[in-house]
Order: sequence, then C-alpha cells, then structure tokens
Amino acid sequence: MVHRRRIRGVVLLWVALGLSVWGVGHAAAETTLEKIGRTGVFTVGTRTGSPPFGFINKQNEWVGFSIDLAKLVHANIEKKLGKSIKFELKESKPDTRIPLLSSGAVDLIAGTMTDTRSRRDSVDFSLTFFATGAQFLVKKGSPIRGIKDIAGKRIGAQQGSTNERIIREKHPQAQLVVFPDQPAGFTALAQGKVDAYTNDGIQLAGLQAKAPKPDEWEIVGEFYSYEPYGMAMRKNDSEFRAIVNNTLMEAIEGREYFRLYEKWFGPKGEVPYPLSEIVLAFLLMQVVPK
Amino acid sequence: MTFDWAVIVSNWKFLILQGLMGIGAFGGGTLRLAIPAIVLGFMLGVVIGLCRLAQRPWIRYPAVLYVEFFRGVPLVMVIFWFWFLIPQMTGQRLPEYTVALTAFVVFEAAYLAEIVRAGIQSVPRSQIDAAASSGLSYLQMMRHVILPQAIRNMIPSLVTQFIVLFKDTSLASIIGMMDLTKAAQIVSQREIRPFELYLFIAVVYWICTYSMSRFSRRLELRLGSPMGNPA
Amino acid sequence: MIPVLFLGLSYDFRWSVLWTDGHGGWILEGVLTTLKLSALGWVIACLLGIVFGAMRTAPVRIIRWAGAAYVEFFRNVPLLVWLFFWYFGAPQILPQSAQEWFNRHGAEFWSAVLGLSVYHGARMAEVIRAGIQSIPRTQFEAAVSTGLSVVEAYRYVILPLALRLIIPPATNESLNLLKNSSLALTIGVAELTFMTRQIETYTAKAFEAFTAGTLIYLILCLGIAAVMGQVERSFQIPGLIARVGRAEH
Repeated sequence: MVHRRRIRGVVLLWVALGLSVWGVGHAAAETTLEKIGRTGVFTVGTRTGSPPFGFINKQNEWVGFSIDLAKLVHANIEKKLGKSIKFELKESKPDTRIPLLSSGAVDLIAGTMTDTRSRRDSVDFSLTFFATGAQFLVKKGSPIRGIKDIAGKRIGAQQGSTNERIIREKHPQAQLVVFPDQPAGFTALAQGKVDAYTNDGIQLAGLQAKAPKPDEWEIVGEFYSYEPYGMAMRKNDSEFRAIVNNTLMEAIEGREYFRLYEKWFGPKGEVPYPLSEIVLAFLLMQVVPK
Repeated sequence: MTFDWAVIVSNWKFLILQGLMGIGAFGGGTLRLAIPAIVLGFMLGVVIGLCRLAQRPWIRYPAVLYVEFFRGVPLVMVIFWFWFLIPQMTGQRLPEYTVALTAFVVFEAAYLAEIVRAGIQSVPRSQIDAAASSGLSYLQMMRHVILPQAIRNMIPSLVTQFIVLFKDTSLASIIGMMDLTKAAQIVSQREIRPFELYLFIAVVYWICTYSMSRFSRRLELRLGSPMGNPA
Repeated sequence: MIPVLFLGLSYDFRWSVLWTDGHGGWILEGVLTTLKLSALGWVIACLLGIVFGAMRTAPVRIIRWAGAAYVEFFRNVPLLVWLFFWYFGAPQILPQSAQEWFNRHGAEFWSAVLGLSVYHGARMAEVIRAGIQSIPRTQFEAAVSTGLSVVEAYRYVILPLALRLIIPPATNESLNLLKNSSLALTIGVAELTFMTRQIETYTAKAFEAFTAGTLIYLILCLGIAAVMGQVERSFQIPGLIARVGRAEH
C-alpha cells in the first residue's frame, strides 16, 4: 500500500540524514595543512571594521595590515604544499573568533586578537605581530582623561573583547554599554550615546583616522592593559604553527614586515603610529636564529 | 540638523549592488538570500505541513514538535545555533551565506507548514472523497487535486509570510553576512550618517515588500480566490 | 567536566557555567530586561494598534488613508532597520540638549521600546482592523441608530466585540513581539539573547548557554499562549460569529 512505502521512505531519509551528519563529524581530525591541501582553500578570519588591521576602505575593498601579513602566510603555504591555494577572507569578531576557528570555519585568525593565557586554553597563538594597550577614545575636550575618570560614565565596548571584560570585572562603577560590533560602538560614541569608547589604542587610532573629522577625537589614558596581537590557529598543530611563525620571522628579518608597517602605520600611511623602540626591539628579538 | 544626502549618492552602488543584490567581492546579498530561502522554505514547509496532517503518529508528532519548537524561539537564537554548532557538528567550513540560508529555511518552514496545513484543511472534504473514489492514490490526489486548490487558498497568507521572510533576511547582518543592512552599517561607520542611510535602506526594503504585496494581489485576482477574504 | 562524544566530536559539557561566577544573575537580569522591554512595547503597540486599526475602518477617507499610511510604512520595513534608525538616526533631529538627556536616561532601552512598539503597533493595527471588519455592519448601524456617536459606537459596541474576536491572532503578534525583543541586543540592550552570548564569550560553552536561552524563550512563549487560551475561553461570547483566526503562537 502507498502508506507503507511512504513511511519507509521517510524513515530511511531521517536515518540517512542522521548518519551523514554523524559521519561527516568524524572528518575533523586532520591537521590544518592537510585540510587546506584537501579543500584547496586557505580561509582567514579578519575584521571588517578595525582600520587599519582589517577594514573596508572607501573603494569598498577589504584590506588591512593583518590581511597583508596573512597573505605572506598564504604564499608560504602554497610553497609548502607545492600547489596553488585559494585565499579567502571571512569576517570574525571578538565574539565569534574562537568558535569559528575551532569549528574549522577559518584556518587562521589574523585581525586584532590579543594573545592571553586564558585564550591559550582554546587556541594557539603565533608570535606577536603588534603590541598595543587598551585606551579610551573620546571627543576632544572630554573630562575623561584615563581609567581613573570612568566611574559613573557611560563606556562603550565590544562584546567579547578583553577590554569589555576588564572594565566589567575591575571597574564596575563605570556604566558599560556593550555593542555586538565596532560600527555600532563607534557610531554611538560619535552621537554622544557613550562618553568614551574603549578598545586597543591602535584600533582607536584607526577609527580616529578614518572618521569624517579626525580632529574631533582624541585618544586618552595610559594603556590600562597590555594587548599583544597574535594570529590564532587551532591547538596542537605544530606544522602549521611553524609555517606561520616562520613567515613572521622571515618578514621581520627580511624587512617585508617593516615595509608593510610603513604602508599602514607610517607618516603617510592610513593610521600614523610610530613604532616605539621597545616594540621594535621586541619584534626583532622574536626572530630566532635559523 | 543638516541632512547630507551626498552620502547616499556616493554609496548607493555599494548598498544596492552589493547589499541588496550580492553582486560584488563580498558575496551575500539580500535578494540572493531571500529568493532561495523562500523557495526552499516553501518546499520544506509543504513536507512538514503534510507530515503534520499524517495519520501515523510517528510522522505527525515529530512534525508537531518541529513546528511548535521553531515558533517558540526567536530567529536570532536559531541563527546563532546554526552559526556556532553546525560547523562543530559537521567539521566543515561554512560561509555565512549557507548558515543564514539554512537557518532561515528551517525556521520559516515551521511557519509555512502551518499555512500549508490550514490551506489543505480548507479544501472541502468532498474533493478528497471524489478524488479517492476516482481511484487516485494519496500522492496523485495530493499532487493533482488537493494541493492546487490548497495553494490558491493559501496565497494571501503565503505571500504575507514570504514578505516576513524577506524582512527577516536583515538578521543575517548580525552574523556578518553582507546584506543591505550590513552594507548600511559599514558605510555608517565610515561616514557617521545613520539617519540618511537607514532611512534610505528603509525605503529600499519598503519598495521591495510593497511590490511583493502588489504582486500577490494581482496573483490572487488572476487565480480567482474562492474564499474572497482580504489578506 | 567529562569530555563526551557528541556527534563524533569530543565536547566538554559543563552545565555549571550557567550558574557559577554570577552567570545565573546575568541570565536572570536578561530575562527581566526581556520581559520589561516586551511588556512596555506590548502596551504601547496595543494602544497604537487600536487607534490605527480603528482609523482604517473609519467612514472618513482621510482618516482611513492616514491609518493605512502608518501601517504600510512601518510594517514593511525590517524591525532591525527600525531599531538602528530609532537609536542612531532619529535622535539626530532633536536638539543637542534633548539628545544628551536621552542618552543619559537609557537611550538604548527606550529606543528599543519605541522601535518594537511602533513596528508591532502597525501589525496589531492590521489584526484589529480584521477583527473590526469581521463584525457585521449591522452592529455599527444599530449602535448609531440608538443615538451613539461614531466614536461612542466604536468604544462601547464595536471594539469590545472586536477585541474578543482577535485574541488568537493578537496572541500570535504578542509572542512575535516577545521574540523580536531579542533584536535589541544589536543596539546594546542587555536582554536574554545578549546574556547567552555573554556567557558564551566568557566560557566558550556555546551549547549550554544557547540551550538555556532557548528553553527560557520556549517556556515564556508556551506559557503566554496557554494563558491567553484561557483568557479567550473565559471572555468569549457564546453564539458570536466565527473567530477571525485560529489560536497560534
């Protein structure tokens, strides 16, 4: 009878779906290089609203310092695998970075991710490719000059960022207003909906440089946290990690890194931000001998 | 305050071509998401609607649970579930577009299933009896007699739900898919002109949805809805 | 803390993240904010819905047209866009001092309330209009012929009937409002979905956090639907014409 055939068909369909989901789940045990070789795609998670690390410029292109560094890694991956690999960008934000990486949706996070010990429980980090600290962005002339002044004030931050966590845990007297991403947070600041917006100093410099009227803003306060940026990748993948680290070391040694730094952070760059002596020394000393 | 409509003039291409239509380097696109979502969602909705009406409890109950579940949770939550957990389950990398499409199809199918069910139930019992007595099997009966009539009855509610789905695509911007809303957010961060930008995309959305409801009205008239009730 | 094989991948379930470290307080706060947001939005949406729904059935064409304009304009644009518009865009037309006052007094929350209530007000207006239109014209004519003015006829005869008829679709819309309150997270309102995301970013335990949020929404929706079903039964007028729509949630 028709009914019996239909039921069998439906049951088989459910079973097939279940099996395929379960079966495909097992495919997650390969290394990153194997995965890139198999799929032919190298996916990098980066920001869309954090100039100049990863952002969309006036010509609506997706560019940035971190993206350029990731492209160097891509070149080395192609050399290692001996074949041409597609380079793909995906948006990652503080609240989606780690899940995107652990689920295999991206292979590398190259954006503005701070290397912290607790994050190292979930992901591995490359060498530090930039060092900054958290500060505040305010309208010029604002009474807020640093972390001591934020009690009772409205402070904007991004959900999932280290900055948000520090303010929430160490400075509960400040009124934290948390936005899902940078565009919302910065627009809120521009409209006075928050008194200050907190993020890493260099990102604030980027926002200021890209704002319609950069002179209206200033970055205030000592670094209230140390924010070393690293590229994140899945845990326990030493081969891939070696490639990323070697790429960074070669770039610093061979001056490609500094050429890129000039392009983005030099006096004529998108966001002028001179390299301090101490950070320069730190970068150079990360390059271990061959 | 002064209005600065120049921000629309210089960015409308990005907003419309990339955001609305998905033509450009970022993929995505409201229409590119909405149209497949409507088609696939409707197909899944028909299946679940039919299961909902099945005689056998082991087909009916999962369908009932499915519908009741997805109608009781926000779409944002469903999108987050798919965004975080599908990749973990399948170990595959998925673009935002695929995640958003899957979430929308699965979610909207629950609502469409109810519309399908109501539509099928509105077909007079005599039709089923006549079809069965002519020797048609269940599938033939559904395909040639019941569903055509049911769909005609359902059109107002279907189009209403399709319009809802179209508007819901704006939520894909929350996971970073480049649709019209996300495009406006990106431009707004650069230019800080939210009033002009959001008003502009509100008008664009309005034009699209209003066209859809006008189309539905014309379709209704042409097919001659026997129920005659306005949407 | 025991790693478990979940669909072939090992995942470390840890349900305690839901109540340790003050996370339980977060969830509670999120639920309360969601309820406050939804309740306020609902009240205003109902008021707007009654006013504009009635306007759409008025005998005077201008009034009808004004009602239709409100409904068509607000209903056809996504709520997310409205939230951004009300929070970021609209305050720009206010004078600076008004803007500053608004910012100091919960701009995020009240923009969300405004966005929800105006959008759902338009949808409620449609529901109420359908309810009013399903009442036979004879009722209205009879009311007017007993000497009531048009407004009085609406207030004492038409609306009480219409409100009973529309309980099922109105419940549907009210639950939509509750679910849509989750969108307020995009403008910084710390409601329930926001809080589940918060727990997830602090602990990386997405499954537990989202399960908690999903269950709470389900309980709220099913609960409200059950209560409204009861309300419908206790207020119904026996022998009245068929309902406008079936009870859905």
